[in-house]
Amino acid sequence: MTTDVAPRLLEDTPLGSKAGGFYQRQNFLTGLGFGILLAFLGWLISHATLQGSNWGSDMVVTVTMACWVIGFNVGMGTFNAPIRWALGHDQSHEDELYSAGVGQGNKRYWKFCTDHKVIGTQYLVLVFVLFGVGGALAMMIRTQLITPHSSFLDPNTYNSIVTIHGMVMIIATIIMVTGPFTNFIMPIMIGAKDMAFPRLNAMSFWVVVSAVPCLLATFFLGGVDAGWTTYAPLSVQAPPAMDAFALTIITFVVSVTVAGVNTIVTLITMRAKGMTMGRLPIFTWGSMIGSALGLYAMPAFLLVMTMMITDRAVGTSFFVAAQGGSGWLYENIFWIMGHPEVYVILLPPVAAMLEVGSTFARKPVFAYKVVVASFVAIAALSIMVWAHHMFTTGWAPDLAGPFMLTTELISIPTGIIFLSVIGTLWKGSIWTRLPMYFVYLFLWNFIIGGVTGIYLSDVPADQFFHGDMFVTAHFHYTLLGGAMIAATAALCYWFPKISGKMLNERIGKTAFWIIAIGIQITYIGMFWEGFQGMPRRVAYYDPIFLRSNQMATGGAYLLMIGWVVLLYAIIHSWRNGKPAPANPWHAKSLEWKVPTPVPLENFLVDPVVTSDPYTYGEQVPDGQNEPRATPEPELVPAGSGEQSDTGGQV
Amino acid sequence: MSFEEQADEIEHTILDGKPFFSRPAGKIFIIWLVFTVIGLLLSFYLPHHILPTLMASTGTDVFRTVVVFSVLAAPVAAFVYAVAVYSLIAWRHKGNQDEPPEDGPPLRGNGPMTVLWLTVSSVLVVVLLVWGLAVWSSQQVSHPNTLQVNVTGQQWLWTFSYPGTGVESRTLMLPVNRPVEFNVTSVDVTHGFWPVSLGTQVDANPGEVTVIRTTPNKLGGFTVRCSQLCGLYHAFMYASGAVVTPTQFSTWLQSQGASATQASQTAQTTPTNS
Repeated sequence: MTTDVAPRLLEDTPLGSKAGGFYQRQNFLTGLGFGILLAFLGWLISHATLQGSNWGSDMVVTVTMACWVIGFNVGMGTFNAPIRWALGHDQSHEDELYSAGVGQGNKRYWKFCTDHKVIGTQYLVLVFVLFGVGGALAMMIRTQLITPHSSFLDPNTYNSIVTIHGMVMIIATIIMVTGPFTNFIMPIMIGAKDMAFPRLNAMSFWVVVSAVPCLLATFFLGGVDAGWTTYAPLSVQAPPAMDAFALTIITFVVSVTVAGVNTIVTLITMRAKGMTMGRLPIFTWGSMIGSALGLYAMPAFLLVMTMMITDRAVGTSFFVAAQGGSGWLYENIFWIMGHPEVYVILLPPVAAMLEVGSTFARKPVFAYKVVVASFVAIAALSIMVWAHHMFTTGWAPDLAGPFMLTTELISIPTGIIFLSVIGTLWKGSIWTRLPMYFVYLFLWNFIIGGVTGIYLSDVPADQFFHGDMFVTAHFHYTLLGGAMIAATAALCYWFPKISGKMLNERIGKTAFWIIAIGIQITYIGMFWEGFQGMPRRVAYYDPIFLRSNQMATGGAYLLMIGWVVLLYAIIHSWRNGKPAPANPWHAKSLEWKVPTPVPLENFLVDPVVTSDPYTYGEQVPDGQNEPRATPEPELVPAGSGEQSDTGGQV
Repeated sequence: MSFEEQADEIEHTILDGKPFFSRPAGKIFIIWLVFTVIGLLLSFYLPHHILPTLMASTGTDVFRTVVVFSVLAAPVAAFVYAVAVYSLIAWRHKGNQDEPPEDGPPLRGNGPMTVLWLTVSSVLVVVLLVWGLAVWSSQQVSHPNTLQVNVTGQQWLWTFSYPGTGVESRTLMLPVNRPVEFNVTSVDVTHGFWPVSLGTQVDANPGEVTVIRTTPNKLGGFTVRCSQLCGLYHAFMYASGAVVTPTQFSTWLQSQGASATQASQTAQTTPTNS
């Protein structure tokens, strides 16, 4: 029986349910099977009972997609533990070990596995897949736009591709850092053995996996031709694909919410002894504040998509003007989600990039506390700027001034990020390994993205630029050139810890230069289109925009080649790379103090933290300068007593 | 420590006894200056060449805003780039790349620098805001003698009607130097009414009438585009428009079926004795 001091995994369960059984036979294939089975049943029943009614096909699609999501997760084992609880049982010790993936080798990556490192890796692969899909769609868009009247895609397919490219990329960028790195790295960084809620963690992954087929199914249900913003009333009239689209988002929001709560609770309650809030690595602050912002923003997305489904499937007419609704209502709720969401995307990668900058400049993160304060300020301001997306909708012209104010104010805390990066570089010892390349590329791109944002924040100028390619170029510079490049820096930085192999820098640097140049050509081409006055989301265009479109398309092909080369470097290194030492960058945060590959539960002995991880250059000889009261962290790494930190010796 | 000793120390530690331009700050200043000049040249040169010819008061506002904002942004962007470039030239670790270089100095922050940074960015924000509000409020004034044009969007064409004349057209004709008010609506989904070269736009929402004002100030043709994805043939939803003289405008109204009196009243020309 249990004692008070027994570790969780060694604890016996009071009701002692039997180990194994069905539990141990579930994997991705049973999920797939259950999902398809339930979806088929749902389709059969709803088709038989509802098809004749007014909104029959919308209801059928909604029911079928919902059945798929539930069926897949039942088949995966997402709900096993709560179901057992409801039946009066609990997980046995063997069950928990099994869930953690003990002794299953690579098969655990296809199972409902609660180990945060497995989940982080699963997320990483999912992010690659999503970027692959979104990127392929982007290439189709750019191919269509090589000539003014291309017959490569018909307008409906083109509009659907524009929509799904947008949504796939939004989903991918929201999870690109919080998925892989917050899951894999963050618990180790703070000295925790796992996330606070390992099963919810696994759930957040498999729920988002189940959302992806719904999104791709839209192509076979008539296509969503309304753009990723799916403004009403156009989207209310769209084909049944729109129901699948809305259901995708509802499912995705469930995943993001579960993951966000998990991140925040972990950071508040699971920190090791001595890991005070002031010593948290800056990346964990970015994860925490990004997640908290997501908890504010994403429910609005769930709400607006639920209203969309009811408008379409049962005739509620929230957004239909002819029946007393309003498109502006949709636009408001959408952007109440939509603007905080860009910072949900941006804050975690930026924070991760600051870690990279610190390690490769061999200096502390400059103005750490000011950066944390600016993250908070960005989050707070970002919930009050949504209507700058609606400056030209005609809604509430009197609010143009206030929203111009809040929008321009947000450039002050955002500017702090630049201060911090260049302050970190200042007089540093710049170690130009691959991750650092991407930090410099981030600086270059994000300045351009930021400066072009101020034109859009100004209402009179926005009356020219709104809805045109300038906007597209601006947000690609911030989200791809900024967030995604920062996330790439993070990937190259943590790759040795995650894969256990060193990333091939020769191929990686080749990819870097192609990507860097590809971004400039593509999006400067788009800025040019925008200045000329080319609207967004058009399948055909006036020949006066020919040159700028060809420039953007040429750049986009180059960019795609760059990403493919980087992907090759990653896959090649993962399979054949040099084994990575535990701390290849001689960095000081806790994830580098545990062995590679990281053992289950990370630390065999709980670490004790005595300083923040930015003690570069702080062993000051006595007498000259007043030494800071922050000696090197005295850590007891898990099963690696011989590994001591050597990076900070002067 | 006496004042002289302190001054001495400052000279040794901060000024390092070297002239300004051989210290990092001085070199960064030079790089910054070069980048800023490039940025300023682009700020003045590019808008002339890549924006379309802007033909209305709101278009002039757009043009000026683009130039002013670019001029303000150039030194800031140039500073970040200057430090980044200098750090790569001067502070890059040039030895064995397999081993980390020696640690840099433990600079955890710099209060005065942070305050300066915040001050500069706050001042810039205030300038942007005041500029934006001043321009925006000047656009909200409704003038006497304003020409009313009703704009209706539908999938996938624009209709322009001139109240008091009975004229309905697929072409948008406007008299030069006469304030105009567009009352914009839609009969189906949301469209974006965007007469590109006039430098203004507003959405056409079903069930709502939205208003924008401008004053065309150059003769010539322009294109009205749809700036809001509105379904299958969104790309083909455009109309041609032109800014013409009042006499031409009056003649055009008559050619579209308005009576001579209606046309001259709407165009504010003296009726021609025909």
